[in-house]
This record gives sequence, structure tokens and C-alpha cells, in this order.
Amino acid sequence: MKTRLKRLLRRLVHASVLERIAISVASLLAAIVVGGVLVFVSGAYASCQAGLNVAGFTFCYNPMQVFYELFFGAIGHPLEGDWALRNYNLAETLAQTTLLIFTGLSFAVAFRAGLFNIGTQGQLIMGSLATAVTVLYASVIVPSGFIGTVVLIPLGLLAGAVAGGLYGAIPGALKAYADANEVITTIMLNFVAGGVAATLLAWQFQDPESTNQQTESIPAYAEIPNVPFLGFSGRWNFSLLALAFAIVCMIGIAWMLSRTAFGYELRTSGVQPEAAAYSGVDEKRMIVGAMTLSGALGGIGGSLWVLMVQGEWITSVPDLGFDGIAVSILAGNSPLGIGASAFLFGLLDSGSQSISTATDVPPELVGILSGLIILFVAMPEFFRMIGGRYVDFEDVQPVQTDGGEPVEGGEDDA
Amino acid sequence: MRNPFSILKGWYNRRPAAVLAVSALTLVVFLWATPASWQAATLRLAVPIALAALGGIFAEKSGVINIGIEGLLIVSAFSAIVATFWLGGGESTFTISHHWWGLLAGVLVSTLFALLFAIVCIEFKADQIIAGLALWLIALGLAPFVSRLVFESPNTSDVGTFDNVTIPLLSEIPLFGHLLFDTPPQVYIMLGAFVFGWFVLNHTRFGRWVVASGENPKALDTAGVDVQRVRYTAVILSGVFAGLGGAGFALGYLGTFTGTGETVIDGRGFIAIATYLLANYHPVGALGGSLLFAGLDAMQTQLQGAGISVPTNLIQIIPHATVIVVIALVGRTRLPDAAGDHYESGED
Repeated sequence: MKTRLKRLLRRLVHASVLERIAISVASLLAAIVVGGVLVFVSGAYASCQAGLNVAGFTFCYNPMQVFYELFFGAIGHPLEGDWALRNYNLAETLAQTTLLIFTGLSFAVAFRAGLFNIGTQGQLIMGSLATAVTVLYASVIVPSGFIGTVVLIPLGLLAGAVAGGLYGAIPGALKAYADANEVITTIMLNFVAGGVAATLLAWQFQDPESTNQQTESIPAYAEIPNVPFLGFSGRWNFSLLALAFAIVCMIGIAWMLSRTAFGYELRTSGVQPEAAAYSGVDEKRMIVGAMTLSGALGGIGGSLWVLMVQGEWITSVPDLGFDGIAVSILAGNSPLGIGASAFLFGLLDSGSQSISTATDVPPELVGILSGLIILFVAMPEFFRMIGGRYVDFEDVQPVQTDGGEPVEGGEDDA
Repeated sequence: MRNPFSILKGWYNRRPAAVLAVSALTLVVFLWATPASWQAATLRLAVPIALAALGGIFAEKSGVINIGIEGLLIVSAFSAIVATFWLGGGESTFTISHHWWGLLAGVLVSTLFALLFAIVCIEFKADQIIAGLALWLIALGLAPFVSRLVFESPNTSDVGTFDNVTIPLLSEIPLFGHLLFDTPPQVYIMLGAFVFGWFVLNHTRFGRWVVASGENPKALDTAGVDVQRVRYTAVILSGVFAGLGGAGFALGYLGTFTGTGETVIDGRGFIAIATYLLANYHPVGALGGSLLFAGLDAMQTQLQGAGISVPTNLIQIIPHATVIVVIALVGRTRLPDAAGDHYESGED
């Protein structure tokens, strides 16, 4: 039994893709353990009527209950009675999954080209505003009903992709032609996007009948339709069509990266910029191209947020762009992995609502968890050291965080 | 090299007296012509940026890119406020005012996080950029989480700010006396830290080790110095400096912590990174850059206060937009050769 387990473990860590998955799962578990300890300890400070008494302290929070709410609450408490597959919580989870697939892909595409795009949030803000405004203006001309749906939704998505893509091209061009570090410029552009979008709203697009800072609502026929009979209730702001679209895009990006010339050039410039330049890849255009594509994906995420979830543009855009970083890093920046990873973060997000209704634990816990997950994924060495106690690692190749290709020349090239 | 800082250095090397005279004259005209409230606000707003930049210089010079410095500012600012609140506002313990205990707590927590970051990056060879991002995101979630436990809101109560420390006679000096010698303690801390940082980097053995550890760790190792230990010390120092910056900002300027959105730190750690890149890792240049960005920040508050009808949201992006323009103009600053790389002694 033990040798079989050992053989399994060895197989697990020897295959690079499997190793990535193992590291991701281990990171998730480690983050949950640390998060659980944090919840338990912070329970000593909170005040409550009943709790666990240890050494004169009352620990109010039960980490098991918190994680039960987080994961099972997010799919509608399946272990309790009268559970239906099409429930509100699951719709919420899948809606988040849909959006996070795009923001995750946005980070991943840039990362595979060797670029850190921290600016997905800003690109998403620009894309979502462009979508809302375009659809609102076009809906005046376009007839309502089915034709309106068919025209307005692609138009809205296009507007989001273009605006997000252009906004992503700015740091790309600054990197390519002025050698400006994209980590700094994309972070700054997030702040700029928030300010510019709010200014544009106040200047031209504010809904005169609302006291909130928001545009007018887009017409109902411009929202992404539900699948009849199969789909979730329209009031829950989730459409299976949108999820299907996200999955198609995800497969498309995976195909593009692995099977097309552009994808090959993009990956080579990420792994070996010198070799890519030598083999005729125009490095500058590749940087701008990758950032534009990355921004466009972020922009589409913003479009779907407007067209499926929000129904208008408001200044308090959710932090989907930052969560996308976590989604992509957990997936090892592999497009297909992003589906699973986005679902997990969708669970976390929807589960945080269950936490805040069913327990007294602050829902901000989820923000800490996603940070912890990134932190643990960043240090595969940590798990190798722990794993090394049980498995002989002698002939394991070191693996990069970006998809498991072995690194040339051992641990580092210092 | 298109770096304006090195151009400036070139001028200075050729005509030191002329450059000094022109700078002094500009400074006098500037101090005379601009409103005193703006100058004072600039100095106070420079504290978190400048100290975080100084910390970033130490870490990055030693070869560890600490992009999590924004997270260090958040945790130190927040824990300084909470510690002061727990101890009970304006009173004192062991004859030391609670604001000072809060400052100490902020620095301790920040140093602890920096140590954690150092272990993750040096011991477990994590990708420094990703680990730095993680540090930022954890701080971004942790501060409002704890705040909700203590204050039942992501924002903390107001615990008041440091009183000004006035030095008699010196504060009477016209033009700059009131700025430098009648000011809250965090400004003295900032100025002192820069003298200390500049001295350590340029005139001590440890400073030379830090530079060598970032440029050529193998040579340092051959010379018999433990590279890992130098890097640990440098990253921990970056935690201390960022802690002084965040806690000083919270207790000397804000008096309270806002945990919603990007928190009240609002990207100042990232502006600090831009600042030291602009200054090419030189402490004096970093201080100058911090004053520039803090000046822009203070200006937008002033403009709003003066009732000038420019949209608030647009004014608020001025410092961030300036960073982009500056980074684009400066272009690539030369990173230390081994920055971002792991080093293990005894390999090949």
C-alpha cells in the first residue's frame, strides 16, 4: 500500500503538468489551513455569546463552519434538504467564473509573452464603460426585440474589446518604445482608468434620474439572454450562453498559444526573448500585440459584467481584474487550467456572501485567501521540501511557474 | 543614458558651485512664492513615499525586488492605528505617548511581514514579483478584515495625530524654519532616515555588501560574506523603513485608516517604486522625487480646497499620470545585475 502510494506520488511529481496541478492543490490547501488558523485566532478577539473556551479565551469562530459556508454555501448547500441544481448561489458562482475566465486569460496571455499585466482592472473598467455607452447610444437606432439582441450584444462585446485592447496597448507601447517597466505603468493606469472613467461619466453619461454615479440601464433585450428550460432564472444575472462563450474563448486562446505561429512567437518571446528575436520575431510588435490582446480580454470581461450582471455602468467596479491575477497564477498561466481556477475563485467570491449571511466572520477573509494562494503558488520549493521527505526527488527537473517547462541550467543562472 | 538624474549628476560633476547656487536660488524663490500650507502638506505627504522608496532601494540594491512595499505600508499604517486605539487614544504608558507605541507596533508588524517576504523569496526561491503581489493582496484583505473585527467597519476610528515638535529659535528662521523645525515627528524621522540610509549605503562596509549582493553575489560569496544574510538584512531594513513611513503617515497625517477600495495608502508604495527607479537608486534623488509626487498630491488637495472647478476625479489622477509620463521619459533604469535572481552559495 505504502509503496503504491509512493509510486503514485512519484509519478505525480515527475510529470510536469501533474506537478503543477499538485502544487496548485497543495497551495490551495495550505492557504485554507493558514486562513483557518487566522479565522480561529481572530475569533478570540470577536465578541459572541457562545464559543469554544480555551485557557480563559472564548474563540467565537469555527473555521470548519466558515469553510463549509464558503464552499458549500457557494453552490447552495447541497447536503441540506430541497437542494436544486439551478439555485441562486450556484448562478452567482458561475457568473463570477465567467467573468474571471476573461480576467484570468488576460493576465495569462501577457504572462506567457513574458509581461506582467497588473492592469487588467483598468482595462476592464475602460471596456465596461465603453460597452455600456455604446449599447446605450446604439439602442436608440437599433430596433428592439430579437434583432436588437443580435446586434447589440456583439456590438457591446466589440466595444469592450476595443476599448480594453487600446488601453492595454498603452503600457505595451510604453514598454516597447520607451522601455518603461510595465508592472509600474499598468498599476498606475489602473488608478488613471478609475479617475478618467468617473470623469467621463460625470461629464457626459450620468443617468440624470439616478442619485448614484451610474449610466442609464441598458435595455433588457441587450442583456445576454438565458437558455430556455435549461438556463438559470434571468433575475440571477447569469447566462449559460455567456459561460459557453467564455469556455469557447478559453479553448480558442489555448489553441492560439499552442497551435498558431503567433502563439508560438508569443511563447518564445516569453521564455527566451533573445532566441525569439534571433528567429525573426519583432520583439516590439510582439510586446504591443500581447498587451493589446491581454487588454482586449480584460475589456470583454468588463463587457460581460455590464451585459450580464450589472445592466449599467457604475463607478464601483468590482475587483475582477486583481482576482484574475490570482486565477491565472493558480492555473500556472495555462489557458485550460484557468477554467478550473476561475471556478474555484467563483466559489470563493460567491461563498463570501454565504459567510457574511451565515456567520459573523468578516467576508474580507476571501481577499486574504486569494493573496495566500498566490503566495503559496509562488514558492513551489516549499512544497518540494515538504514532499521531499516522502519522495525521492533526485531526478526531478526544476519547473517554472509558467506552465512547467524545465529551466535550463538548474535552479538559477546567477 | 537618458536618466535625468544622471544628467543632473553630470552637470554637478562639471560645475558643482553653479549647480548648487541655481538650486538654492530656485528653492528660495519656490519657498517664497508658494503657499506655506501647500509646502507643509507636501512634506507630510512625502513621508510614506520617501520612506518606502528608501526601503525599496535597500531591498532592490541587494538583489530582492520588493514590489510588496505597498502591502508593507498598508499593514504598518493599519496596525499603528489599531495599537494606538487599543492603548487608548491620547494618554500614555511608561510616560511615552500612545502614538509612539502605535508607531512602534506599526514598524514591528511591517518588519514581520518583510521577514516573511524575505523567507519566501530567499529560502523558498519564490518569484519575487509574484510574491510581492501576494504580499500586497494579503495586506489589502487583511487590514479591512481585522478592522471589521475591531471596529465593525473596514474603516477605523480616529485616534488623533502626533503634535508638532517645535524647535525654539530654529523654527523662527524665515522661509524654511517653520517647515523643518515646527513639524510633526514623522518628518524628522524621514529626514533622519535619509541621512542614515545614504550614509549606510555609501560609507559603510554593509553598504558595499548590499551593492555587491545585488550586482555580483558570487564575488561577494567568494570574499567570504554570506549573501543570504546580507539579503535578509536588506529586506528587513526595507520593512523597517516602510513601517516608519506607513505608521508615520497614519499617525502623523491621517489619524485614521480607511480600508475600502485600495485603502488609504492608495498606491503610494507603487509611486515609491517609480520614485527610486527614477532616481536610479540614489537616496537623495529618491527624496527629491518623493517631494515631487507629494507636491502634486498636495496640489490636488489645494486645488479642491480653493474651489477650482476641475473634476475631482481628474485631479486625483495627476500623481499617477505623472508617474507614467516620468517612467516613459526616463525609460529603463539599470537594475542591479542580480536583481530578481536567487543565489545559493556553493553551487558550481
